Amino acid sequence: MAGFVFRRLGFAVVTLFAVLTLVFFVVRILPGDPAMVILGDQASAATIAALRTRLGLDLPVTTQYARFILGALGGDWGTSMVTRRPVMQEVLNVLPHTLELTAVALVLGIAIGVPAGVWAAVNRNRIPDYVTRIVSLVGLSAPAFVSGIVLLLVFAIALSWFPVISGGQATTFTGRLRELALPATNLALIMAAYVTRVTRSAMLEVLSQDYVRTARAKGVPARVVVWRHALRNCLIPVVTVIGLYLGILIGNSVLTEIVFNRPGLGKLIVGALAQRDYTMLQGMMVIYTLIVVLVNLATDLVYGLVDPRVQFK
Amino acid sequence: MSEDTGAAIPQRPSELTSLLRLSGQALRRAFASNLTTWIGTAFFGTIVLLALLAPLIVPFDPIEQDIVSRLQPPDMEHWLGTDYYGRDTLSRLLVGARYSLVIGLTSIVLAVVIGTLIGLFAGYFGGRLDIVVMQAMDVVLAFPALILGLILVAMLGATVTNIVIAIAFTAIPPFARIARAPVIALREREFVQAERALGFSDMRIMFRHVLPNILPDILVMASLWMATAVRTEASLAFIGLGIAPPTPTWGGMVREGFENILDSYSLALFPSLAVLVLVLSLNLIGDGLRDAIDPKLKVEA
Repeated sequence: MAGFVFRRLGFAVVTLFAVLTLVFFVVRILPGDPAMVILGDQASAATIAALRTRLGLDLPVTTQYARFILGALGGDWGTSMVTRRPVMQEVLNVLPHTLELTAVALVLGIAIGVPAGVWAAVNRNRIPDYVTRIVSLVGLSAPAFVSGIVLLLVFAIALSWFPVISGGQATTFTGRLRELALPATNLALIMAAYVTRVTRSAMLEVLSQDYVRTARAKGVPARVVVWRHALRNCLIPVVTVIGLYLGILIGNSVLTEIVFNRPGLGKLIVGALAQRDYTMLQGMMVIYTLIVVLVNLATDLVYGLVDPRVQFK
Repeated sequence: MSEDTGAAIPQRPSELTSLLRLSGQALRRAFASNLTTWIGTAFFGTIVLLALLAPLIVPFDPIEQDIVSRLQPPDMEHWLGTDYYGRDTLSRLLVGARYSLVIGLTSIVLAVVIGTLIGLFAGYFGGRLDIVVMQAMDVVLAFPALILGLILVAMLGATVTNIVIAIAFTAIPPFARIARAPVIALREREFVQAERALGFSDMRIMFRHVLPNILPDILVMASLWMATAVRTEASLAFIGLGIAPPTPTWGGMVREGFENILDSYSLALFPSLAVLVLVLSLNLIGDGLRDAIDPKLKVEA
């Protein structure tokens, strides 16, 4: 177990390092001189040169790279080229909003998706199965901004049940909940679509196994067979899909944050792209990579929890 | 496929015909057993047809502005209403379909070709090349595709070519993976071993004997990933990294409609539904094809 964790950690570090290197060079290929972008077209050559020195843009690429890697590892991600505040601070300011949104969506998505998938599998080729399959296929076809706009039109604009702008300013608990409701539902429904489909197919496979037939034959109640014996054994593919789904969840959270005008990493990265805020973009990439690497690590470890047969080697 | 290893000349046609027969059977099965494949194909075909005919059937110029008749609700003249600049929504939707389809199709063709080649080579030769290449694929795969696309398009500039490149890049790893796994299994099969013993070149074995065996799986993946590509293109345009206005793209139309959503709900809604229908139709087709090809599901049914 310890060796396994150690090896996975090693892979995580290598991945992180590779992405950091990639990010460093990718960001530098972006067209447009950041010093010129900050100061505008009117600035004199001397002012631009001075700013380039201050930002460290005139140093050799190797020095910039060494600074970047050491800084990233030490928690110093530089200063935003636009707001002049530390990147780490800007990211940490909005990170809770995104984490709150995605965590609630994750839990809701599993809470909807797993029972729906089981329901469809148990009623294979009957009406509940068809309904679940069609609804989940629509859910996984809808781009997050499309479902978000539909939710916004119906529940915020037509019915006025929820605020149109989920600005994250609410101070009371119910206020926060009201702001979170629509964006989180949007992400959760799409997530539920993926979870439903994989739960259904995993469940169908498990239900055809001999031990399930044996359990049925000896008179175990149907509910116990499905929810205790079978469900436990279809959790591995479900966990895998949740791990793989993370990339999609992050992408969808960006779109959701834009639709509901909600602060978070998504709005931060779109702003940074528009303003060519190199250091901010670098910081965002580091945080996204960290999240992805950590979740993949967690997924691997969860395998061991849901399936004792998994050998950590 | 193993009996033609000895014959020198007539290999290609026999392989090709047997492959075609195989895909034909799978296709027939997909359409015979699966209503969803039919529905998906009907919708997709309709969209393709409308997109092809767009220049001939658009009721209005999709780009020319007509400020007098702006933000009109749907009526007999403008079936789907007009936008903020008085442009006919239906005309813009029809022309926009062309961009969605072209970008979706070309990016996936690109990803299929490059990804399959990478997977084929990595799987066939194995060893250190395999480890390094697939590790790199895993890193790309682990990264959120939309964020990657966002940065690539911002970096390269938002033109049709660059958007295609960005989307193709994010879709390469899954094709490399799906091509690699069966290649590793096939590498040890008797007919490949026999060919190697006969002194056939690696290239010949890979492209004439291994590739046809993995093609059906790749085609299923391609239809499912084209759905993702269309969705990514629309998402990029919605964020503001689509083809520059005034060119109509569905994602860009949703973006413009969204800015005026309190005045007119239909402007954001119609292009949104268009994206949804196109992506859904591709997913329906892919699902049906997969059910037809996957032998495991066949036994179940």
